[in-house]
Amino acid sequence: MKRTLAFFSSLRLAILLLILLTAASVLGTLIPQGRSFEEYTARFGGFTSLVLHLQLNRLYHSTWFLVLLGLFALNIVVCTLTRLGPKVRRARSPRIEVEPKSLAALKIRDCVKLKIPAAGAKSELQKILADAGYRTRETTRGGRIHILARKRVFGLFGSDSVHVGLLIIIAGGLVSGLSGFREGLTLVKGQEGPVPRSEFRLRLDDFTTEYYAGGGVKAWKSTLTVLEKTGPVLSKTIEVNHPLSYKGVSFFQASYGWDWDKTSIEIWARKKNDPAYLKKLTVRVGERRDLEDGERTALSVTKFFPDFVLGAGNEPQTRSNEPNNPAALIEGYRGEKFFSGWVFANYPDFSQTHGTADSGLTFELKRFDAEPVSVIELVYDPGAILIWIGCALVMAGLGLAFYWPTWEIRAILEETQGQADLVAAGSATKSRDRFAAEFARLGAALRRNR
Amino acid sequence: MTESTLFAAAFILYILAAGFYLATTFSKIKRRAPLGFWLGLAGLALHTLALVLRTSESGHAPFTNMYESLSFLAWSVALACAVTVRRFGLPRIGGYLMLIVIALVALASSPLMPKEAAPLVPALQSIWLWLHVSVTILGEAFFAVAFVASLVYLAARDDAKRAQMDDLAYRCVAVGFPLFTLGGLVFGMVWAAKAWGTYWSWDPKEVWSLITWFVFALYLHTRIVMGWKGKRSAVIAVIGFLAALFTYFGVNYLLNGLHSYA
Repeated sequence: MKRTLAFFSSLRLAILLLILLTAASVLGTLIPQGRSFEEYTARFGGFTSLVLHLQLNRLYHSTWFLVLLGLFALNIVVCTLTRLGPKVRRARSPRIEVEPKSLAALKIRDCVKLKIPAAGAKSELQKILADAGYRTRETTRGGRIHILARKRVFGLFGSDSVHVGLLIIIAGGLVSGLSGFREGLTLVKGQEGPVPRSEFRLRLDDFTTEYYAGGGVKAWKSTLTVLEKTGPVLSKTIEVNHPLSYKGVSFFQASYGWDWDKTSIEIWARKKNDPAYLKKLTVRVGERRDLEDGERTALSVTKFFPDFVLGAGNEPQTRSNEPNNPAALIEGYRGEKFFSGWVFANYPDFSQTHGTADSGLTFELKRFDAEPVSVIELVYDPGAILIWIGCALVMAGLGLAFYWPTWEIRAILEETQGQADLVAAGSATKSRDRFAAEFARLGAALRRNR
Repeated sequence: MTESTLFAAAFILYILAAGFYLATTFSKIKRRAPLGFWLGLAGLALHTLALVLRTSESGHAPFTNMYESLSFLAWSVALACAVTVRRFGLPRIGGYLMLIVIALVALASSPLMPKEAAPLVPALQSIWLWLHVSVTILGEAFFAVAFVASLVYLAARDDAKRAQMDDLAYRCVAVGFPLFTLGGLVFGMVWAAKAWGTYWSWDPKEVWSLITWFVFALYLHTRIVMGWKGKRSAVIAVIGFLAALFTYFGVNYLLNGLHSYA
């Protein structure tokens, strides 16, 4: 048991774990995370199954990485606990009495013969120390007066504060991962949607995109209303960096797009042999319209892809949700279907040569209008508060550890023939040079007074 | 005076500063070091003006693309150089630090870096842009000083000089580490939570910040608790700075992720 404890509290383990965590983290940035099986086979070939087996495709959530983190946390816990007890004792009820030879072992030390009795020397010394900001304690034992003077004792706990902060951060990450949720909700203006694990719903009242004069996006603004069963309770316009929170759930402006499934399309139809004929039609996807060409032709739009591309099997698909290459699949009917073909907004000439060529008609995709959609990220993250508490403790701890050094001076006064012999020595957790200078200054002050 | 004139003038002053600093290091004449310091400070003043001018013209923080952030990193290293040389009186490192500043300014001025100030995308419109980037880069600037001190340590033969450099490296890490933790990790997490709704996404830039943090944590633990000093400490500090550099620079060009601004 003792050996197990010693193992888990050892700095060797901490250093080993830091090195392993670093190496694992590096590996996780070299292997792309969370990609498809095909991407891994393309990249790793025969090693793919090994990569997937070792969970290198989701390294930071893999069992072995979490075990490493768990060991790291355990190491910190044991380390902090074993060191905290003695430290608290040292801070609260320190040993005041020491042997003169233990003072002689310290680097920063001084001894002086004062020409006054010990009692006077003691109050003199205490005054000088108090003026320099030291809290003093004293005890008399066997004719010797022992004085312990310290300042910034709280600085001893800097590293503990950092470590406890880290533990709270790890715990916060665990809480976030286990009990939080995040989900995207895609809404068009006027639409409402459910909020997971909640009684209330969310409605998008308005969604606007503001642009800079140069064309870049300045802001996406979604006006949201929270709907309880009793009715609307809260409205706010959110944008990136300015979310809305309600009952622990936060709503973030995550993305935007268009509702392409209900695109409204303007198509111009012309007859090849009749320049006078021009029919402008506005059709929604799934609708059919009469071309009024005297031959009872009806036109329907069956598909719309914002970013048309031919897939692996030559079947049309969309590459993205951005309108990079808008295309509509149109079909013509004269009783039954007699042509079908794609028309492209960016390539009007291309449209005429494919599919629709025999119909005697040409078509142009003149306009397309889809309703903008706003993607709202719904986030419930009960771990976040722990993260902020942990961060505060880490920062406070770093401040204490680096900039709140504990300085300690011990002195022993002994009286021989009415004159006090003073031996003093000091130690500092940090800033030893400045402490040595202060120690020398205090010694000089004592000599000057006497 | 325009921003680019000021920037160019600062560049020239930095070169002169480096010259005088290095002249002190490599000659027996020790009187020229103060000149290096004051020239460096003058360069810093002009550079500051250039940054202020750019901020007032663009209306946003002067670190939203690679050119701006390189310029700001150069400014921070020049500042850290002035502070450490003043505080510790070690002109030896001034020359090398000024060389880093010059390299950064030259890189920023290269035609590969687009210089026009683009309006801010929605994600960057936040007070956290100021806090996160400025504090992180200041921390990294002190890592740069620790890096130079560690390299000088590794190259030095004389014990007194080595002790000075070892001490300086540690003191710079003691400044850089809390700044980097606060700016890079804490402020970064706060901003991510505010903008994306998640404080941590294991994005390559985030992971590399964490790696940098681990390396310097290793530096501190081996040094303070295990009493490692000197060579091994210096090597860790060098690795730490290289990790910080990769976080700052390499991640953008070699790995892709969420953090695609600069």
